[in-house]
Amino acid sequence: MEATIEVRDLRKRYGATLAVDGLSFVVPPGRVTGFVGPNGSGKSTTMRALLGLDVPDSGSALIGGRPYRSLRHPLNHVGALLDAAAVHPARTARDHLLWLTHSHGLPRRRVDEVIELVGLPSAARRPAGGFSLGMRQRLGIAAALLGDPPVVVFDEPVNGLDPEGIRWIRGFLRSLAAEGRAVLVSSHLMSELEDTADHLLVIGRGRLLADIGVRELLDTASGGWITVRTSRRTEAMTLLAGEGARVAAVDRDTLTVAGLPAERVAATLAAHDVPVRELAAHRASLEEAYMELTRKSTEFTSLTGREA
Amino acid sequence: MHAEWTKLRTTRGPAWLLAATVAAVVAVGAASVASVDVSQCPAPTECHEDTTRLSLLGARLGQATVVVLAVLAITNEHATGMIRTTLAAVPRRHRVLWAKAVVVTVAVLAAGVLGVLGALATGRAVLPGNGFTAANGYPPPSLTDGPTLRAAVGTVLYLVLVALLALGVGTVVRDTAGAVTTTLGLLYVVPLLVELVADPQWHDRLERLAPMTAGLSVQATRDLDRLPIGPWAGLGVLAAYSATALLLGAVLLETRDP
Repeated sequence: MEATIEVRDLRKRYGATLAVDGLSFVVPPGRVTGFVGPNGSGKSTTMRALLGLDVPDSGSALIGGRPYRSLRHPLNHVGALLDAAAVHPARTARDHLLWLTHSHGLPRRRVDEVIELVGLPSAARRPAGGFSLGMRQRLGIAAALLGDPPVVVFDEPVNGLDPEGIRWIRGFLRSLAAEGRAVLVSSHLMSELEDTADHLLVIGRGRLLADIGVRELLDTASGGWITVRTSRRTEAMTLLAGEGARVAAVDRDTLTVAGLPAERVAATLAAHDVPVRELAAHRASLEEAYMELTRKSTEFTSLTGREA
Repeated sequence: MHAEWTKLRTTRGPAWLLAATVAAVVAVGAASVASVDVSQCPAPTECHEDTTRLSLLGARLGQATVVVLAVLAITNEHATGMIRTTLAAVPRRHRVLWAKAVVVTVAVLAAGVLGVLGALATGRAVLPGNGFTAANGYPPPSLTDGPTLRAAVGTVLYLVLVALLALGVGTVVRDTAGAVTTTLGLLYVVPLLVELVADPQWHDRLERLAPMTAGLSVQATRDLDRLPIGPWAGLGVLAAYSATALLLGAVLLETRDP
């Protein structure tokens, strides 16, 4: 089976609220695709539609080219962590995984394998009701991996994890992608995905705002600037302004340059024999680039005072 | 199916409810047979007491725990959010309901058999001491007696059908309190309301249609001609309720977003 997720023109309305409005994207195998948007932007709805839990009003959501509800043993095709609280509080972690195994005719040893994989062995025989959110997330991830699926979908897996857990899940997501799986992971915080995702789907008010590589997003961001230290500050400012950059003096020998790539700044100054003591590029953070993308949609949301 | 069995087995609630069902059937039966004595009758042979039915009276209480058990089988998943895990694992959702129906049937069948056998044994032990002897025309309840066997098997089936009705209602209503209230109301309150109907013809008609009075007619072993509905036909009425509730539940489970 092909390890991809395809969402085409997906639309879902809850009462008066249009939760997902014509969303289309593809998640290919072998990389971590981040699904980012403010709370209530339609991420969870999209994932629920993907797993056949919500019936979309129109459009399609396919796993490996097939609608989820046509899959006989879905856990072998796609593993999902949607809601870490979706366990019976009195049932032990092990028994929870056991019934899932039985629903798919999977061998019993898978239970112990996935418990080991997510680092839960010590808690496996305790009722899941007493678990911290972080432990439930691990249990949810264990459940998602029972069928060794080529596609994994995690909704806000970082929520509730401690710093050690966050580091673990980042490495874990990357290793799943490195094994050739399609990995879709959502978050409302770009910073959580900064070191994890290769590619980003940015969503706002149910619409796709960007389908872009992490690197390209950083490059398009307008927030970058360059600090230059030179003994001939005034001359450097005149030269760079002539190249179309926005320049500003910081102190006697320091200036900042915006709107011109670092290579051009260096080349221009070198061509005129302006000595440069230091040239430092400050890239816009992913967070800033993301804020710029989502600003419009969140502004509109707060104007109408409505949570999408 | 195996998965649903694991679910039932791995929490403690269902086992307690099944034990409570057995206890209720036996205890109420014991209290009932202990409370009657031929000395209260004009003559020992004229008590007109249906000793089998009396022994099995506990089904009226035992059905309440059966209802709770069967309702929880589905509403508990809605309450804990586990239904989303279940339906994601088994996207052909009607299969979830059928698997639950089979598991609940097996569990209630086992509890029902234990309860009914216990209640009949208690009846056999207690009744003769109160004058209900073969000499007075009351042979002790025995499974070799056709009507008594039918009453015993019918009572077990009655409990199973009540469980399936409750499972269906639980699937439709999705809320534990709402589903338990609805099912118990249908079982207990409808017969009470029927008693308020003065017109004898309508009274009989409604007794034939009320699931508990119709279904429990299967327990009668004497004076069958005075029943509002025949024993098996009465159980059939209850079965129709159960089937309707399950089918409606299956349709809604398939179409509604959990």
